[in-house]
Amino acid sequence: MRADTAAGRADARHVSPLRVIRRPWAVAAAVAGVLVVTLGGAGLSWASGTGRSAMPVGRPPVTGTPRSHWAAVSAPTAPAQVVPLPTGMVIPAIGVRTKLIQLGLAASGTLQVPADVGVAGWYTGSPRPGGTGSAVIVGHIDSVNGPGVFFRLRELKPGDLVYVQRTDGKMAVFKVTLVQTFLKSRFPTAAVYGPVPNAQLRLITCGGTFDVATGSYLSNVVVFAVLQ
Amino acid sequence: MKPASWAVRVVTSVALATLAAFGLTAAQVAVEAPVALASNPVGYIRLAHFSPNTPAVDVYLYSFGNPSAQLVLHHVSYGTVSPFEPVSAGEYTVAMRDAGAAPGSKPVLSTAVSIAAGHAYTVAGVGPAAGIRLEVISDELTTPPGKALVRIIQASMQQDVVTVTVGGHELVTNLKFANATPFIAVAPGTWSVKATGSTESVTATIALAAGTIHTIVVLDEPGKLALDNLLDAAGSNVAPAGGPQAGFGGTAPRPGATLVPWAAATIAGLAISVSGTVMLMRRRRPALHAHRPH
Repeated sequence: MRADTAAGRADARHVSPLRVIRRPWAVAAAVAGVLVVTLGGAGLSWASGTGRSAMPVGRPPVTGTPRSHWAAVSAPTAPAQVVPLPTGMVIPAIGVRTKLIQLGLAASGTLQVPADVGVAGWYTGSPRPGGTGSAVIVGHIDSVNGPGVFFRLRELKPGDLVYVQRTDGKMAVFKVTLVQTFLKSRFPTAAVYGPVPNAQLRLITCGGTFDVATGSYLSNVVVFAVLQ
Repeated sequence: MKPASWAVRVVTSVALATLAAFGLTAAQVAVEAPVALASNPVGYIRLAHFSPNTPAVDVYLYSFGNPSAQLVLHHVSYGTVSPFEPVSAGEYTVAMRDAGAAPGSKPVLSTAVSIAAGHAYTVAGVGPAAGIRLEVISDELTTPPGKALVRIIQASMQQDVVTVTVGGHELVTNLKFANATPFIAVAPGTWSVKATGSTESVTATIALAAGTIHTIVVLDEPGKLALDNLLDAAGSNVAPAGGPQAGFGGTAPRPGATLVPWAAATIAGLAISVSGTVMLMRRRRPALHAHRPH
């Protein structure tokens, strides 16, 4: 046994590099295998969507407008209030700071989406943010090769604040009440676009599984928020 | 044997890890399946004063069984309507006291109101002062596609019967004081709304957008009628079809199908390198054995 071990050690010490080089196909196989494993692993990691980055921004400098509560009541003959148009939005919890463009409907009857994945847009067919009703803002989760403005939308939690800047220079401040993912085949149209009796906000992006065959996500992430 | 079993272990663990990755993807898909909107146990209530000759009041909202008021609306005078307040679904009591009366004093009026999730209610003091009552009026939160909804509340005592037209079309005929119409679907547009009593009439230009719900209240003003246009609720004037396509997949977790080539490549590569290594070690083995005593 001892001899065997010693001999083994001796032999191990004396393995000639030449002996290995004499079998280049084996080396090639080993190296190629390692390469493929590395590439495959990287591919798996990429395909699983790991290793993402985020766009950090600071807190917005503005605090909310005071809430019009029970004290603010309608005068019998007051003219209908004109709510200022939205111009931008800040969501500190997920590092969003964007201007808001205006969006209508696409020819297909679906909601138009921003051409620039880096900005969000307000649907002009919905109430203006801060006025009575459910204002709708949409933004991309990603482009073909990187994060979009609403990449982290699904990370929002009830209680997080959303600041909508308006043409009058004031902010409408909304508090998140619900964040949910819906299959597009069962999109909750009434809950998102239907009438509500107070000032609310809906933020929409894509989410869930990406269907390579159709080039689209199978789900939408919807954030429901209420004016503070 | 040892290198071979080591190789088997590695291949097995890689295969298991790959399966685990697939398992995770399957789990993600499964989590996505439930789409019902999480139950949102919020309803809405607003308070109103529609009794022309009743002085201002304080209005209290109590969650049933809780003696401390959840909301208090002070000095509510005729024609005043509060905004809708979101409250947890459940049983409530609305109480009216004379303006400035002690919160613990006996209310002049009170009524129970049951608030269901996703529904809205107006609790209004209606009728003449001598016979004022608290009425719970159900509100509406959906419109027919492409339409506006309108309701008339008749709160004029001076003109105790009114007829209301919208764009020249009669919406309601001879609506009596302290009564309300049901909601009526109206084509969207900016309309001339006219209320005509026996001796007075009033006209207002009111924009009724599709997807909005309005209550128009006929009110007394000194010596004349007035109309108050309340925007009860608003949604999109056209609901877009389906959910928006707001992504191009650049950050998407790939579903199982696209993991296959990468997983296959990983396993194949591993197999190649392991077999290469095993080959190398096998080639070395005869040299080892040569020194072994027989």
